[in-house]
Amino acid sequence: MAELTVQDLHLTYGTNPILKGVSMTLERGEVVSLLGPSGSGKTTLLRAVGGLETPHKGRILIGDKVVFDGSAGSEVPAEARNLGLVFQSYALWPHKTVADNVAFGLRLRKVPSGDVDSRVKKALEELSLGHLAERYPHQLSGGQQQRVAIARALVYNPPVILMDEPLSNLDAKLREEARAWLRELIVEMQLSALVVTHDQSEAMAMSDRILLLNNGVIEQQGKPQEMYNNPQTLFAADFMGSNNRLKGRVAQMDDRRALLEGEGWQLWGRPSATTKTGAEGVGMIRLERVRLAQGPGENRVEPELTTSMFLGDKWEHIFHLGDTTLRAHSADQLQPGRHWIELPRPDFWIF
Amino acid sequence: MSATAADARIAPPRRSGFEPARALTILVTAAAVLGPLSLIFYQSLLDAPFFEATKHVGIGAYQFVFADPDFWKALVNSLLIASGMTLIAVPLGGLLAFVMERTNLPGKRWFEPFILVPSFVSPMVLSFGFVVAAGPVGFYTVWVMQMLGLEEAPWGLYTVPAMAVIAGLTHVPNVYVYASAALKNLGSDVEEAARSAGASPLRVAFSVSLPLIMPSLLFSAVLVFFLGIELFGLPLVLGDPEGHLVLATYLYKLTNKLGTPSYHLMAAVAVLIVGITFPLVLLQRYLLQGARKYATIKGKAGRMKELPLGPWAWPAAALLALYIFVTVIVPVSGIALRAFVTNWGFGVNLVEAFTLDSFKFVFNEPTHTRAIWNTVLIGVVGGALTVACYTAIGFATHRRNDGWSRFVDYLVLVPRAVPGLLAGLAFLWVFLFFPPLTPLRTTIFSVWLAYSVVWLAYGMRLISSSLMQVSPELEEAARSVGASRGVISRNITLPLIRAGLLGSWLLVFMIFEREYSTAVYLLAPGTEVIGAQLVSLWQGGAIDIVAALSFINIILVGIGLAIALRFGVKLRD
Repeated sequence: MAELTVQDLHLTYGTNPILKGVSMTLERGEVVSLLGPSGSGKTTLLRAVGGLETPHKGRILIGDKVVFDGSAGSEVPAEARNLGLVFQSYALWPHKTVADNVAFGLRLRKVPSGDVDSRVKKALEELSLGHLAERYPHQLSGGQQQRVAIARALVYNPPVILMDEPLSNLDAKLREEARAWLRELIVEMQLSALVVTHDQSEAMAMSDRILLLNNGVIEQQGKPQEMYNNPQTLFAADFMGSNNRLKGRVAQMDDRRALLEGEGWQLWGRPSATTKTGAEGVGMIRLERVRLAQGPGENRVEPELTTSMFLGDKWEHIFHLGDTTLRAHSADQLQPGRHWIELPRPDFWIF
Repeated sequence: MSATAADARIAPPRRSGFEPARALTILVTAAAVLGPLSLIFYQSLLDAPFFEATKHVGIGAYQFVFADPDFWKALVNSLLIASGMTLIAVPLGGLLAFVMERTNLPGKRWFEPFILVPSFVSPMVLSFGFVVAAGPVGFYTVWVMQMLGLEEAPWGLYTVPAMAVIAGLTHVPNVYVYASAALKNLGSDVEEAARSAGASPLRVAFSVSLPLIMPSLLFSAVLVFFLGIELFGLPLVLGDPEGHLVLATYLYKLTNKLGTPSYHLMAAVAVLIVGITFPLVLLQRYLLQGARKYATIKGKAGRMKELPLGPWAWPAAALLALYIFVTVIVPVSGIALRAFVTNWGFGVNLVEAFTLDSFKFVFNEPTHTRAIWNTVLIGVVGGALTVACYTAIGFATHRRNDGWSRFVDYLVLVPRAVPGLLAGLAFLWVFLFFPPLTPLRTTIFSVWLAYSVVWLAYGMRLISSSLMQVSPELEEAARSVGASRGVISRNITLPLIRAGLLGSWLLVFMIFEREYSTAVYLLAPGTEVIGAQLVSLWQGGAIDIVAALSFINIILVGIGLAIALRFGVKLRD
């Protein structure tokens, strides 16, 4: 059963459209990421689901209960939607202790005070915060504050938990640990979660499904590996990884492959739905798919090495092929000069 | 919080859409603001007091006022004084703000409270202080005459230009607070660039820093001009000896002009004054928004480095000291001396002339002790109640962008345009002739209500700046866990703004200790406050008592100021 359904949602700030018809579902026990660049509308969508923004068209259902219906003009206010919301800034109430922060939602639901105490205790222990119950938020580290914010949103067992950039306030090293921890927690507790993020690797690591938003519409959605390995648009391909881009003209095409031609190079690749013979095209390949080769062959070029950067676990090389810059990885350093590199046909996408 | 989570879900409480508390708050505010004002407007169109049986609607009152040469003289004087004081207060306030905010003048932090003093001491008291200190036979005048061997005072205090100068000096704080707030947001790189191009600190101030905060200076110029049109206590004290009237004193004198209570004439003058001030208030609002916009653009303050003054420290310190001496020390020391001596002049030893008689008299006279007690009461208890009311209004509009909020936004501006004297008059009529309130006429409640309405705009600015400091996410987080608006206000927002509210209480206390004009018409046995008492005693020429009461008033304000400084309350927003 879908825990959350969004149908054709439109939202405008003044005359500025933010969401232009977004539809999605969230199944029970599923983690869905809303991914996109800033201004794509992902946070607005999350806030609209939470009841903090009012769309002007569309429907939102939580379970089978309609909480927003633009055509009927009905709207359930945020406080009656019974969702758990984790803010980017955590938004912990500075004048309440950790325990009181977590207990607030239960007290509002008139839970008997004995039950409040035991549920708060249990929630804090599950998030390894038991010993911090009497502290105030400013006495906690960033990671601890984040866990309090999550405990506060989970304690009354909302059907869906909404998280706005839950990891962005942590420093880089902590973020990777928190990502693994959060994924584990969500799976273990069988939560249904909608997570906003602008970081594609975070989205891929944490979620069962990714919704890629661009300019107020869903560009593509699917499992992380589909999104990464089979992007349908140039935007999706570009956003999901580190890429090489080559601009050229489509010289030939059949149903499985197309030939992109640039100044001094010709490369075969997988065409997209919009590829047409004779039209301008953009070729794209993930950095890690580019291979160093020993000599000429199909889909190989021989660019000039400009510079190399040492990244620790590998080298990144920057080549110039005419006006085009190509980047590739290798385990070892390269000598200056020209090198043959291969852009394998299945991994070279033409849009 | 387990595999059975779905079964254990707890539904949030239901919430109702109608908010009676909010509706009531807005309604009461609207009644308190618009009721008295519409009464004035209505009265101005009658030819007799509105409570009399035979009256006719017409514009006779206006015709009378326009035909009165005194009105035109008063209008011209008001415009002259308002322009003059603007020309003095704006450059001086800007320059002082520059010195205090941008330069490395040693020990400058100690001076700031003194710069702000004139805005906390009643203008009535300050003007009186100038009279006893620098009037024709004032302490300082006599000393200067002695030293220079002059036969008569080297300056005249009772002329229109002198009033403009003193009003200008005492309104410097109004410019100072806005200019220094704007200067805070300015990056120091622009000044350093001018400095390295060879500009002296004075040149930096007038060519770079002050032009960059032009929107704030423009706003404060309009504010000072507006306050100049409203001026009452100062021209009452300083204009009286030579008969110079301004609009507010013209209105005040009108009471006795025709022998009978000429309510319709007073109302007509009141409407005319509001006709000048209300556009000025709207202009201020417009300019303030512009100034804020400008400040946020320049808001990337980044690194703040104070401008080294070098040898310019001397002239800067001299300017500061001279300003504080003339505007604060001269009048305050004048009052302090005058309150404790019997006589002064050539050859009089002030120690021998020491006396406590004025204070003994004040404390033996029930009217005066009641005035002191009422003044303390209205500041402490009344101030707390006022802040509570302002907070309720603040919550009625907090984070809402509906028509009601915008209505309240403009509503709180309205009293700003009504000088205290007129508001007091309007409330007098309401208390006299609105039956449910009549029993409260002779209680301090009448004065409290009038004060609270008159200072509504100022107070709401304090409250909303506290409310704005609460991050919206803290309130949204409470909504998302199931809290209704009322619950959020009580459990989240109110505890978070507690410190701000205490600070507002202290500032409102000081404002209420200082206020005088609003209570003038409400003065009656039982409603005495020091401010109004001073106006009435000054009219009666009881100089000794005025000095003693002024001194007590300064002490009360001083206590408030000391507590504010002790607890680090921001004296300005």
